[in-house]
Amino acid sequence: MSDITELDTPAEVGHQMREEIRQISVRVRARRQLRSRIMVTLCAVALAITAVPLVLLMYQLFRRGLPVVLHAGFFTQLPQTPSLIAPNATGGVSNAILGSLVLTVYAAIMAIPVGVLAGVYLAESDSKLAAVLRVVAQTMAGAPSILMGLFAFAFVVRALHVGFSAIAGSFALAVLMLPVIVISSEIAVRGVPSTLREAGLALGAKPHMVSLKIVLPAAVTGIVTGIILAISRAIGETAPVLLVIGGGYINSWKPLNPVSALPLLIFEDAKSEWPSLRTEVWGIALVLVAFVFVLSLSARIWASRKQQAR
Amino acid sequence: MDQEFKTHVETKVAASTTPLVRGASAMQLKNVSVAFHGRTAVRDCTFDITKNRVTSLIGPSGSGKTTLLRALNRLHDLTPGAKVAGQIMLEGTDIYRGDITVTELRTRVGMVFQRPNPFPTMSIYDNAVSGLRFNGVKKKAILDEAAESSLKSAALWDSVHNRLKVAASNLSGGEQQRLCIARALALDPEVLLMDEPTSALDPIATLKIEDLMMTLKQRVTVVIVTHNMQQAARISDDCAFLLMGEDRAGELIEFDTTEKIFNNPIDPRTLDYTLGRFG
Repeated sequence: MSDITELDTPAEVGHQMREEIRQISVRVRARRQLRSRIMVTLCAVALAITAVPLVLLMYQLFRRGLPVVLHAGFFTQLPQTPSLIAPNATGGVSNAILGSLVLTVYAAIMAIPVGVLAGVYLAESDSKLAAVLRVVAQTMAGAPSILMGLFAFAFVVRALHVGFSAIAGSFALAVLMLPVIVISSEIAVRGVPSTLREAGLALGAKPHMVSLKIVLPAAVTGIVTGIILAISRAIGETAPVLLVIGGGYINSWKPLNPVSALPLLIFEDAKSEWPSLRTEVWGIALVLVAFVFVLSLSARIWASRKQQAR
Repeated sequence: MDQEFKTHVETKVAASTTPLVRGASAMQLKNVSVAFHGRTAVRDCTFDITKNRVTSLIGPSGSGKTTLLRALNRLHDLTPGAKVAGQIMLEGTDIYRGDITVTELRTRVGMVFQRPNPFPTMSIYDNAVSGLRFNGVKKKAILDEAAESSLKSAALWDSVHNRLKVAASNLSGGEQQRLCIARALALDPEVLLMDEPTSALDPIATLKIEDLMMTLKQRVTVVIVTHNMQQAARISDDCAFLLMGEDRAGELIEFDTTEKIFNNPIDPRTLDYTLGRFG
């Protein structure tokens, strides 16, 4: 650059500068292309590392689980304890499938209304109480799930004298689901543009009507996605139900009966001395994964349909 | 009528060459100021919004046009730290008086916003009658009639009458904005506030809305904030020119008929602005 001043005409100065800029940009472009390739390769390797355990897991799950699932009576029969005469008579897992369903449905009934309304409150209010509740919800979301089980055991099973029951398990799962629903509902409601709120107010709607008739429907996609996430998490949890559901061997929707659950059965059977029961674990795991997969898939489909309708 | 207001009008009349003949006022502003957290955004605006006329608020960004407009239906009520001083009279009653029901006020003073904001989860029909439903009207016959007449008033009926149950988001931007106008008209307001209603629309949709305003003023008084001076000149009968003062608070520089503001203003700053010398 320093010798530019020594050049004679402005035209030459311009030419010199353009040439210099071109040379620099060629060098810089080459360097950037190299750096970009390295980064893309690194990302691809990271993706592969993430995918390997998942693929291996799914492979094992299907290889060992599929024969179990296809075995007659797996979905319809109650479990049997194998004996020396019939070491492969494991029966089915109908009680655990129904139990997981019962637990999840009751938990959802308890957690959804409270969670959604609390989320709306957090989003619409800037009171001190809301700030405190938000911290509580965030802390609860990170709390170990065995705590929910201990709490349900101490509170529902013992203090309320309910005993080992489906309702105690769903209570534990509801407490587990609650913070997830609260936080996702708050985020969804906050995402509703303020112009919609104002439009409602400008039409003479009272603030509670704006919340219920305008903001809540506009946020419903995000709220439902959060609910399904919470349910998928709850259905696979072992720790909260371990201490409280009693592991019932009957098929029943009654909330006060002891029930079994898929994760609990995996936990029990994996410790068994019977090889046939230890094999059965893979089938149960496959069913559980299928449950969660169907749930999250339906959530995605539903959300994208809803988005397109907008 | 108040003494203060009379003197204001008289000075304007005295200054103008042709005397002003005015109808009854729809709204009167007296020394209206709006402050947010103690910082004044608009100061001391006094002027009169005449019935069945279009009044435009013009001025550069930050001059407080929108802030002033939103004071007219008490939309600042829910903004934390917002404070409105002075008097805003609707049919002789101060709208900030303690016994005024703000929800009822907003049915009498409707509003259309800058960006079309129909309720995305509602159909065209549900949007049109949403204001009535919020205010407790449930009878289907009334809702049906209100939907039809308001959509007709907003020049939207012909293009939507056979798809009333379709989601409002399927409409084009201009149609959505006319749906928002229909939604406000369904409550049969006395005044319609419009906050830059065409700034997000293309020129053809803009013209349709402007045409609509010209016919609407026969039944409703229109107050419009606009950045577009040609628009103010085309459609408004009266015009308020605001400017940001030295302390960044908006001030009313001049209020008069649009014809005078654009052709023969008293304040040299008004002329500078309408000629496009700044802002």
